[in-house]
Parts: sequence; structure tokens; C-alpha cells
Amino acid sequence: MSKKYILGVFDDEATLVDAFEKLKDKGVMPVEVYTPYPVHEILEGMPIKTRITHAAFFYGLFAALGILGFLTYAASISWPLHYGGKPFNAFPSFIVVTIVATILAITLLTLFTFSARAKIFPGKKAEIFHEQATDDKFVMVFDEAGIANDSESVKSILTEHGKIE
Amino acid sequence: MYNSAVRGKLIDGDKSFSQISKDILAPIHAKTPLWWYAAMLVSLGMFGFGLYCKYITVSTGIGTWGVNNSVAWGWAIINFVWWIGIGHAGTAFSIFLLILRQKWRTAINRAAEAMTVVAVFCASLFPLLHMGRPWLFFFIFPYPNTRGPLWVNFNSPLFWDFVAISAYLLISASFWYFGMVPDFATIRDTAKSKIKKAVYGFFAFGWTGSSREWLRFEGLSFVLGGIAAVLVVSVHSIVSTDFAVSVQAGWHTTIFPPYFVIGAIFSGFAMVLTLVITMRGLYKMNDFITDRHVDAVCRILIFISLIMGTAYMTEIFIAWYSASEYETYMFFKNRLFGDYAFQFWAMFTANAVIPQLFWFKAVRKRMWIVFIISIIINIGMWFERFNIVVTTLSRDYLPAAWANYSPTYVEIGFFVGTLGMFLAGVLLFFRYIPMIAISELKSVAKFDKPNNGQLKAKSHE
Repeated sequence: MSKKYILGVFDDEATLVDAFEKLKDKGVMPVEVYTPYPVHEILEGMPIKTRITHAAFFYGLFAALGILGFLTYAASISWPLHYGGKPFNAFPSFIVVTIVATILAITLLTLFTFSARAKIFPGKKAEIFHEQATDDKFVMVFDEAGIANDSESVKSILTEHGKIE
Repeated sequence: MYNSAVRGKLIDGDKSFSQISKDILAPIHAKTPLWWYAAMLVSLGMFGFGLYCKYITVSTGIGTWGVNNSVAWGWAIINFVWWIGIGHAGTAFSIFLLILRQKWRTAINRAAEAMTVVAVFCASLFPLLHMGRPWLFFFIFPYPNTRGPLWVNFNSPLFWDFVAISAYLLISASFWYFGMVPDFATIRDTAKSKIKKAVYGFFAFGWTGSSREWLRFEGLSFVLGGIAAVLVVSVHSIVSTDFAVSVQAGWHTTIFPPYFVIGAIFSGFAMVLTLVITMRGLYKMNDFITDRHVDAVCRILIFISLIMGTAYMTEIFIAWYSASEYETYMFFKNRLFGDYAFQFWAMFTANAVIPQLFWFKAVRKRMWIVFIISIIINIGMWFERFNIVVTTLSRDYLPAAWANYSPTYVEIGFFVGTLGMFLAGVLLFFRYIPMIAISELKSVAKFDKPNNGQLKAKSHE
């Protein structure tokens, strides 16, 4: 890595969140925060957002319309067949397949979206800043150039709660 | 906010985060114990016998089974419904307890989901081979073909079933896998050996635990959890329509969908108990799967058992109340006192009576009794499916078509084979996969701390 980074390493969630909020008040944002489990204060505080739930809604909408459309087309236009005197366009009995297949479509498409957006995919090499961030350490990463102006105060807040590595 | 006064602590032993990772990953990093190889050998033996029986089924045909023209659905459909039922607990555990904000689920959901994936896979084999010509199974896909294109019958519950099971298998497997990605990353970062680092590193998909990943991960869990809840209810409802849409006495009832869904969750939770008590016994996970966890599952089982009892009584009552000659015969003559009365009463006792022992605290805290009852429930649920499938088919409207049924060794071997496959799957799970969701467990660990682990009094629940 060509850039220089400062790592603030914390032992638990509480100290991490405290330091994060103090820094945020000062207007300093970490480049990234690594935690062993999701910490909601961080997820809400970081300048990131996700539209994955909206995407899932639209996948569902289009999948449901598409599947219902296909069933109607196949059963009543392409090759209509009599099944025990039922109407060709037997809408009520299409509902079941539409629901289940829509759920399948939402799941798979949302998974692919997640994989693409969070860049989590087979064969990816992890860029690890701190070996224990998936075990028991909470790590904040700062870009050294980005915090040049108030690096002293950042460092003091970090050392107050955790340590710098 | 988790109210610890009700259920006590979630994790015993006041563990640090790294201690949690270490304890749960211990079986993966340790040497494989001897009993593991022995158990694996036994399950592979069972699996092999099952393969042999499948070979006979495919090479000779369904004639090697005990099914006949009247009782055309024998053990294959019984076992299919039984396995699917067991497979329901994983998703039910993850989703319903998630919706109900039950934090104790974190210790158990991974095992329950693993069980789901293996059980649904076992289940899917039965209808596949029951087709008779399984090499033509792809005819059931609605794909543009040279036969018309002749589409499949979208009105048929058997087609709904096919869609439901393949969707359920894919969805529960991906839900389970993505839940494990952060834990695989933990193994990658704590493992000493290079091979383990590489293998688990591959399966971790480059996970680092950054806030960008967690944010989307939470979004993903939210979406998958929300829609999988619908799936839990719909899949077994669809399985029940295989029966309820027909016009057979004892099957053609509107109670079937809820009755099947509840029954599925019942047998699934019982299998979860069997599994987690085994985990506690073999791997000393008592600090994570505490007595209180087992206690909570037992309490749920009392409740579901009461619903099961009510459902059985309702069926019998409605058979009388409907004043239908056939329904009355089916229940009062055939099921209660007919040739298969033993299976009926075994089902009733095992599902509606014996689980009532869980009312007693003395029973709930003795693990070996809980273990035995959990097995009894699974046997009882098997008899329930036998009772539904065989009693109805063996005595239909035409006395000339009445026939009894008993399985051949091929059918039994097929079932034993899936049991072996399930056991082998569970053993592999114990050995190579973190059997408790580490990252989820860490996220609830703070609720055990005196001041909630927070510097400020703040809650985000």
C-alpha cells in the first residue's frame, strides 16, 4: 500500500463508539472501520448507505410480474390444455408458484447484488489491515494525509480509548 | 433491550471476544477425535446401503417397493414429508425468533440451518426416485421444448411442490452460507496452518468486517430473513396441498396447511434439540448452549404439542360433525381402531401426550430425558405421516380397491441411506464449520455485562 494509514485499535464496542463519536464531533471521519460484528452506531455514523432493500423490492416486483405473465402466457396462449374443466387462465392456482418463484428470484438477485456491491465473492483476496479485526479487536483506519491538519488531536482521542498501531 | 431477568445470561463464563472465537473454533483446530471417524464410518455404511437400494430402484423399478395400486405413496412420500418437516426448523428458528427478538437464538441458529440444508436435500431424493424414471426429471421444468412446447400443469400441487422444494433448498443453503462468511474470515485470521488459511480464506470470499460490508450484510439479512419467513409458511402449506387438493377422505380438509406447518416446526425443533444436546455432550458447548437455551426450546415444544393435540382432535371432531359417511369411517373405524391403529396411537401419544412432560422443570433440566423425548417426538411425527398417507390410501371409496401396505427392504434401505447421509452431513458440519454463529454471538455478548458494556446508557434495540 502506497498510502500511509493510522490504525486505532479498540478492545470493545463501547470505547470504539465513544472515540468514533468524539472524532465525528471534530469533523474527522475514519476511512473505514473494521469490527467483529455489526456495530449499529458505526453503521449509522459512517457516511455510507445501502439501497439493497430497495433493489430487492424492485427485483420482487419485476419477478412477480414476469412469472405471473409467463404462467398466463404458457397456460392460456402458447398451448392451452384442459385440466379437469378448469379455465385456461386459472389465476388462483398460479399464485402459489408466483410467490415461491418470486422469493427465489429476490434471494438470488439480492445475493448477487450484495456480492457485487460489497465486493464479497469467491476467490477475492482479503485486504487485511489488522489480523484480529475479525476476532476481538475493533479497528478504525485513518488516512494519514487526510487528517494531517488535526492529527495530534485525533491521536490523543485514539490513545485515550484504545491504542495506535 | 434484552431483558436478562427473564432468561438469565446468554453466555456462561464471562468470556472475552477472543475466548468466544477460540472456544467455538476449538473443534476445527483440534485433532479429529476417534469417535468422529467411527461415527463417520457408520453413517457412510448406512449411506452406502442406501445407494445400493437406490441402484435397485433405478435399475429394476418401483416394483421393488412395497407400494401397490391402492397405496401408491408408501415410505417414499412419508419420508419425504418427514425430512421436509425437519428441514423447516432451521429457517423457523432463524426467522421467527429473529422477528420476535429472541436473542438466545444466536447460539442455535447455525446448527438449525445446517440441519435444514441437509434434511431438505435428503427429502428431495424421495420424489425424484418416486418418479420411476428419474433420468427424465427435467421434464418437470417449464422449459421451451420440442414436445409442443408442451408446458407443465401449473395447476398441479406436485408442480408447486417441485418449485417450492427447489426454491427452499437454494434459499436455505444461501442464507446459511452467507451467515457463515464472517465466521470463515475469523477462522482464516486465527488459523495457524497455511492450508487452513487458504481454504477458509477462499470460502470467506475476502470478508474483512469493514463497515461497508457489514452495512450491506445487514441489509441482505433483513431481506432474506423477511422473505424466507414467507417461505417457511408457504413450502409446507404446498406440501400439504399434495394431499388436501385430492378428494380422499382424511386428506381433503382445510386444516391441512396450518396443521402441516405446525407439525413441521414441531419435528424440526425436536431435531434441533437432539442436535444441540449432542453438541453439548460431544463438544462441551455448555457455556454457549446453556441449560436455559434447552429450557426455552422445551417450552416452545409444549406449546406446539398442544397445538398438535388440538389439530388431531379437530380432525376427529370435524369428521363426525361433517356427517360424511366416508370421513366418519376414515377416522372412527379406520384410523382409531383399524389395521393401522397402532400408528395412530403412537403418533398421538408421542406428539400430544409425552411432550407434556416438559411442563415439569425436573424434566426440562435433565438433558438425557430431554434428548429421549426429542427423539420420541421425531418418531411420533414419522408415524403422523404414515397415518396420513397409508390409512387414507389403503381404504378408499371402493372396498374392492382396499389393500394393505408394508415396505420392502429397498424402501427401508433408501430411508436408512438418507439417515446416514444426514448423520454424515452433521458430522462434517461439526468438524469443519463453526457450529455456532461466532459474530452473532459476539454481538449479543455485551448484554451479559453489568453495565451492558456501554460507557453511556444508550440502546439501539
